[in-house]
Amino acid sequence: MRRLTYLLSVLSLTGPMLAATADPPPGPPGPPLYQMRERLPAGDRTATTANGQTLFSNRCGACHLLGGMGTNLLTKERMQLGESPAMGMLTNRQDLTELYVKTVVRYGKLAMPRQTRVDVTDSELDAIAKFLGKAGQ
Amino acid sequence: MKLTLPPRVSLARFNQALKAFEGVVGKAWVLSTDEDRDAYSDIYAPGSESEWPSSAAIAPANVEEVQAIVRLANEFKTPLWPVSRGKNLGYGANAPRLPGTVVLDLGRMNRILELDTTLGYCVLEPGVGFFDLYEHIQRENAPLWMSVPGNAWGSVIGNALDHGIGYTPYGLHSRNLCGIEAVLPDGDLVRTGMGAMNGNPSWHVFPSSFGPDWTQMFTQSNLGIVTKAGLWLQPAPQASTLLSWDIPKEEDIGWVVDTITPLKISGVIEQNVFIPSWLGKIVLKGQRKDFWDKPGAIPEWRVQELLKEHNLGYWQVQIRLYGEESLNKARADILKRAFKPHIDAPPVETHWKAGEPINQYEMTMGVPSAVALQMGDWVGGRGAHMGFSPIVPAKSSHVLGQLHRSRKIIAEHDVDFYASFTIGGRYATNINMLMYDRDNDHQVNNIRRLFNALIAESAKAGYGEYRTHLGWMDPVAETFDFNHQAQRRLNEKVKDALDPNGILAPGKQGVWPSVYRTRKS
Repeated sequence: MRRLTYLLSVLSLTGPMLAATADPPPGPPGPPLYQMRERLPAGDRTATTANGQTLFSNRCGACHLLGGMGTNLLTKERMQLGESPAMGMLTNRQDLTELYVKTVVRYGKLAMPRQTRVDVTDSELDAIAKFLGKAGQ
Repeated sequence: MKLTLPPRVSLARFNQALKAFEGVVGKAWVLSTDEDRDAYSDIYAPGSESEWPSSAAIAPANVEEVQAIVRLANEFKTPLWPVSRGKNLGYGANAPRLPGTVVLDLGRMNRILELDTTLGYCVLEPGVGFFDLYEHIQRENAPLWMSVPGNAWGSVIGNALDHGIGYTPYGLHSRNLCGIEAVLPDGDLVRTGMGAMNGNPSWHVFPSSFGPDWTQMFTQSNLGIVTKAGLWLQPAPQASTLLSWDIPKEEDIGWVVDTITPLKISGVIEQNVFIPSWLGKIVLKGQRKDFWDKPGAIPEWRVQELLKEHNLGYWQVQIRLYGEESLNKARADILKRAFKPHIDAPPVETHWKAGEPINQYEMTMGVPSAVALQMGDWVGGRGAHMGFSPIVPAKSSHVLGQLHRSRKIIAEHDVDFYASFTIGGRYATNINMLMYDRDNDHQVNNIRRLFNALIAESAKAGYGEYRTHLGWMDPVAETFDFNHQAQRRLNEKVKDALDPNGILAPGKQGVWPSVYRTRKS
């Protein structure tokens, strides 16, 4: 039953997006549509001037936008802790610190692999961590 | 991770090399801290990551920098392990085969150089990921579809070069390559196919050349660094129909293959048909402990219970048809007639027309996703996987033979059976997923023993893998044993002729340059 609840909750995350289509099919909503990432702005990635939201979308979006692998696994994890499925989206979390974000990105955690400094430069990670790390700000 | 020096290179000389590399790419793109070495290691390593350690990584921005690095690597005798984006999960990720090799990370070379919507091809640098190309196609509103692998986090070119497969009519990715540019081990630059002529506009449309075409020589090889490549793309269809059957019994894979193969060879079916066993569906529904809470393999009686509980067949067949509606309908009728003598239940049919939305998990419609990697969560902890992937002729006798063989060996090692057959035409790629918690020594050691047994027993029966993890490249290469490993001798002759210093990817696919040949396992 818990699995069913989890699956329905993951699917429920797709509601707002499907609502944008003309005639949503009957029954539970299907998987979300592809989530376009924001473009990576041109410029020196080692001294980026891009904002954290854009960088998060582009650098982390393959897994951490709606329906992504990271979001799905985190949704399950947060629900097991009694939280809302929406907490599977890192952008909704209020309990992340900048240091925690940087540590997980560089050292990995469970299914989250370590990211190289080509994947995410230190400068980009600073901005992303600031964007996600709402706790303690 | 502590520094492991390349063989035959002193610390002082290594540091001089890094300085020289910095002169080419800038200090910021020579990555040589302990943390960097951790990041350039196999995150799915079956055992310690220190088994395949890198010494550093260099990230060039363009072909001129690649050439300069290769020349310096020859001077300093520092071997290079090129990776496009380094996401080859299950096969070694971005780690090198030879300990101490410097990873050449091409991730910054990520330009989409051309997208030809009329002739249906693109020209890419190796750092372009599937997500990047997909989004570019969407933003350009180009009427083209990609073919994506199960894990689409990686590089389009890297996947094609490593013989990756997808599940559309363009699913044999290495055959989509048409005309590449590569830096040779001495730093020289070549273009294959019609690109060997300056300014020839047929470079990425004619799949051959005047004289030998060397394109495939650079796939799964250590003979050059591909810096750009042409890749054919599928014209976006006007409509698509999906037929889905749940196939009840394990042995049914025999008639399924014998039914699909002639339709694939004759062109009624265009796509690579992916046929996963039941566990492929269950792994995305939760963790193993939710379904079976004991350490050994899930027993057959519980498997049968799970199939009933989740209304699944042992295998799932999904065949997608692409093209105009009338064409798809005619093809669907042929398929239904072919399946009818074997299975009473009609297929579930899903229809799509151009302009309708496509969800993000539609791999057979060329949408990239990394969600398949969720399977790592099945075993819990730091879950990882390796794939044992022999190629078999697409006939029931071969498919059932390999199924029984691998099934028996996997059962003897008390591991859950999770396999798929992908029918690519006259052959099927049989991927057996072996999942393990990296922090569970018993599981890791068992999987390693299992992998050895699968390679050895399949080879005895005459079958070889199409691709494998770093740690098994030598044993798999050994199984290609015609005329006392004549292919290995040929590979070594070519390698030594083109790369006398053994600079490029020593040990890749079991091909060792003479200077490191004693390192072979």
